[in-house]
Amino acid sequence: MTSIPADADPSTTRQTGPFDPADVVWQRVSPRLVPARLITAAATLAVPVVAGVVLAVLVSPWFWLLAGVPAALLVWALLLVPRQVRAIGYAERDDDLLIRKGIMFRTLVVVPYGRMQYVDVEAGPLDRKLGIAKVQLHTASANTDADIPGLVPDEAERLRDRLTARGEARLAGL
Amino acid sequence: MSDSTPGVAATTTAGRRDLEWHRVHPVTPFVRGWAAVVALLFLASQQVLDDVANAVRAADSIRSLWWVVLLGAVLVLAVIFGYAALAWRMTAYAVDDETAHLRKGILFRQQRHARLDRLQAVDVRQPLLARLFGLAELRLEVAGGSDSGVAIGFLKEADAQRLRADLLARAAGVKAGHPAAATGTPAATAGPDERVDAAPGEPAEASPGEATVAPDGPDVPAAVPEAPERLVYEVPPTRLLLSLLRMPGVWFGVLSLVAVGVAVAVTREVSILFSALPAILGVGGYIFQRFAGEFGFRAALSPDGIRLRHGLLETRAQTIPPGRVQAVSITQSPLWRGPDWWRVRVNVAGYGGVENLQQGEQQHVLLPVGPREEALTALWLVLPDLEVDDPDATLALLDEALTGDARTDRWFVTSPRRARLLDPWSWRRNGYAVTGRALLARGGRFVRRLEVVPHERTQSLGLTQGPWQRRRGLASFALHSTPGPISPMVYHLDEAEAARLLGEQSARARRARAHAGPERWMEGSR
Repeated sequence: MTSIPADADPSTTRQTGPFDPADVVWQRVSPRLVPARLITAAATLAVPVVAGVVLAVLVSPWFWLLAGVPAALLVWALLLVPRQVRAIGYAERDDDLLIRKGIMFRTLVVVPYGRMQYVDVEAGPLDRKLGIAKVQLHTASANTDADIPGLVPDEAERLRDRLTARGEARLAGL
Repeated sequence: MSDSTPGVAATTTAGRRDLEWHRVHPVTPFVRGWAAVVALLFLASQQVLDDVANAVRAADSIRSLWWVVLLGAVLVLAVIFGYAALAWRMTAYAVDDETAHLRKGILFRQQRHARLDRLQAVDVRQPLLARLFGLAELRLEVAGGSDSGVAIGFLKEADAQRLRADLLARAAGVKAGHPAAATGTPAATAGPDERVDAAPGEPAEASPGEATVAPDGPDVPAAVPEAPERLVYEVPPTRLLLSLLRMPGVWFGVLSLVAVGVAVAVTREVSILFSALPAILGVGGYIFQRFAGEFGFRAALSPDGIRLRHGLLETRAQTIPPGRVQAVSITQSPLWRGPDWWRVRVNVAGYGGVENLQQGEQQHVLLPVGPREEALTALWLVLPDLEVDDPDATLALLDEALTGDARTDRWFVTSPRRARLLDPWSWRRNGYAVTGRALLARGGRFVRRLEVVPHERTQSLGLTQGPWQRRRGLASFALHSTPGPISPMVYHLDEAEAARLLGEQSARARRARAHAGPERWMEGSR
């Protein structure tokens, strides 16, 4: 299992307060989520950068602006994404699943197993190449934003089966 | 019923064998597709008239054209009639103890099974045209996202009422009085002409598993009387009208109308009026829709749950069984303060989100407008006992929930003073209180709102914190409810307090779920 308990990592033990309930050991997601997110960001930002550079060389130096803004965003992403990925954590407790996300805008979601309606496992072509998958939990509420990206496929499958089993054991009506 | 297999349609093949399929009323396709039919007839008659004019002119030369035109008209009518007849023939429904079945469609066949123990609400809907025919449509809402309900219609009004009573009785767990499961459903009294005796002309349907049981002997109406109901409150039309006049949007509309009038008078340009027309029509349409939809609103209580009736042109009779309300909100817009009027809405799983505004908004209303006592009565319909520690204090708690703020609070936990910078207007109102049955979330200073979520209806919980909130040690707490107009939220709590609430609330919700009543609400009492 590639997910390491959070207390092994200084960046997560630093976060205390409301988003770290006592006696919760966070599971981390695969660091391969970092390249996955960066490649996606680079693919979208590279087009204006290249266009800007070409135009700046050929037409006018003002086009360096066009290239500079997305390039700056790319650098920002390079710095931010690894931290974002490290900030994602989940924990299986006896009766519910906790998912924590975000650095600037932090969210913590508690999903009781008995409330789960179904579980999705998704992996796009890039994700498959990198060997990660996303597990998404659905409750009867559309507001439940509970997905865990960047799981190793084995872990994703284990989690899916475990969640389904626990959900069935505890299923209640709506 | 917590011990049933979850999520699986409990239709066994054995159960299907003794299903008895019924047809809907033959007028149904016309009531459903009347607009299309009228348009087609209009177009056809236009064509025919044109052709007639031409034909009269050319009558001398080509007398046979008359027949062509007539033949064409007859053909079109025949096609429409044939399609309608086929559509009607293909639509059938059946009910057994576990499930309601509906099949329909000509090219794309659809069979739908709705588990009765998962029934969230039953609506009897009567659009204007259906009312003229004395027909009604029955909508069974199950919690499966948008358009997951089963619409059985149209039926004769009395049949629809009977079918509703039967469905509710079965969903409640009161078994129909006949040992031979579905042979004596009340709907069987719909008359022999509406019975599906077989499914000829349709090989796919003629499989023995779905063959229907012919009626043996005279119909015995099942002894499922309509559950008695008691009127709890009704909204007089004058109050509804006055409440609509007290909506800020209306004043905005009137003011802009005056402005347009002045502009027209000054500039003598009538074209301004036309450019303002869509906005005026929009506001007017919304007000009319609210008025027509909430006209004659009556709420009653029966053992089958809450009964709501309303509508001016299209009427709707809703039945929400016990324990199906996921959240309640009580709101008051600023101009309603004088008469102390409140609006009560609910989240019900089957009714779906608010994306379907026209219908959705109406379905979610528990009280369109009413004084405080009536609003609290509406809340009482959903939660008869809030289980406040000190029962005598319930009213005081609710008063605090509706109008109180941090300066007078006795029960509510509110935003700390440092939230003032982030929410200068309503930081004193933001807060929550917990009773034995529900969580009360309060907020809003201009538009006051109170959201009540029973503990056992909590879907999931969330905590969010933005950068400014973190700097001030605040966090917002969210309760996730099923799709609907209400998404309960407590803004800007002290972060330690919010974390504590998150932990405690998930434990409370878990305990409440374990002790929640059965899905079939009469089962416990039998």
